[in-house]
Amino acid sequence: MSAFVCQENVGFLFSHACGGDAALACMRCAKPLCAAHLRSVGGESLCAQCAREHGDSTEEQHAADEDDPSYYYNDYGYYGAASAGSSWGRGSSHDTNDFTEADGESLRREDDASFEEDMGGS
Amino acid sequence: MVGRWLIYALGGGMGHLTRASALARAASQRGHGVVLLINTPFAPGLPLEDVLGSRVEVLRLSPALGREGVGQVVARCLKDLRPDLFVVDTFPRGLGGELVPLLPKMRARKVLVHRDVNPAYVKKFGLARAVDAFDLLLVPGEDAPFASHPRAVRTAPWLLLRAGELLSREAARARLNVRPGDARPLVAVMGCGTSEEVAEAGDIAARLEAALGSRARVRWLMPPGADADSAGLPEASLASRAVVWPALAVLPGVDVLVGAGGYNTVQEARATGTPFVALARPRLYDRQAVRLRPEELAGSVEALVARAAQLASGRPVRGPCLYLSGTEDAVTLIERTVLSA
Repeated sequence: MSAFVCQENVGFLFSHACGGDAALACMRCAKPLCAAHLRSVGGESLCAQCAREHGDSTEEQHAADEDDPSYYYNDYGYYGAASAGSSWGRGSSHDTNDFTEADGESLRREDDASFEEDMGGS
Repeated sequence: MVGRWLIYALGGGMGHLTRASALARAASQRGHGVVLLINTPFAPGLPLEDVLGSRVEVLRLSPALGREGVGQVVARCLKDLRPDLFVVDTFPRGLGGELVPLLPKMRARKVLVHRDVNPAYVKKFGLARAVDAFDLLLVPGEDAPFASHPRAVRTAPWLLLRAGELLSREAARARLNVRPGDARPLVAVMGCGTSEEVAEAGDIAARLEAALGSRARVRWLMPPGADADSAGLPEASLASRAVVWPALAVLPGVDVLVGAGGYNTVQEARATGTPFVALARPRLYDRQAVRLRPEELAGSVEALVARAAQLASGRPVRGPCLYLSGTEDAVTLIERTVLSA
């Protein structure tokens, strides 16, 4: 699939990529999006997932706890511009957040409930 | 100062085992005594002691052990071995969360080998707090959630073998049963995450053999032990198999590597400049799609076969061989951490 095709998941019964012409990319995860799937949140153009996460983090910020170590590492699980200077393992033109449809299968278990239960599941 | 290290490398597949073996080998060559704790189903077939040397003791836990059993064995190991240094690969809380109550009681210095993990796991299990239990976070070769932690240090990717230990191109091709004088490109297909993926690699090799005919040689690389499971596979997929471990040793003789996006395969292909195409396999913790570059990633088996055949049909051009392993640096950093205690 071309990188310039909207990769937002759509479909009520069967999830599939939108496939429309991409107008812009999500400003946080770089997912290509058509005009219909762009969401304007707090001055940013985001995909649905990032827009949801923005909402979550906005709520969380009101209750930020400086005793929680994650307070200091608020970019965990996501490597944005701060990681661009990494010396290792990065192609010059590769945005790690530039997902394709192949990623869907490999990330399908992201919300899997078997963390710390499946001793062979690594 | 020579010490006694315990390296915790629990987890399925070959990834934790191979990365930890690279560190164990480098540490033992500096004189440290190392105990390597693993539970991968592939462990029984691998000649680990031959590769790691006599200073590394390998404890192979049964892959059938559940969460409670793993917790009991790990607690017992820590109590009995009383290491000077405890190195944990990937899971700061332990594979089953069993390290959380154990780490604060330990006198040993604690080192986390920190690589990319599923952000849902990071968030759900509070890894931001868990990593603070460690004296040093080593980040070998790729980004990781807490790579900016004050005690985190990046190194080059960890490779199991030193550059001088890789076979020459001629020796590697001979090891893979390519006759001397046969100059055709060699395609190696590797699958080692699960036994199903090993078998599927055989199917992909057979499809590549059919697609390429006499234009190239195709080999299905299997880890020792996994070949015992291949008895029921079609004869065609068995014709080109080669039992080899570590596969890194033969990569100088491989013109196109076909595999998956696990840490070791990816870093080994890049370090040796081997043209590489891979599937992003689904994993509970690892994100192979994030690790693979667009030019390495195939979205389906069909795309994988087509891309590999295309690479082999041309004259495969090896990339720059910038063979650099971070294991020596890692051992030095760990030694400094122990001395600073």
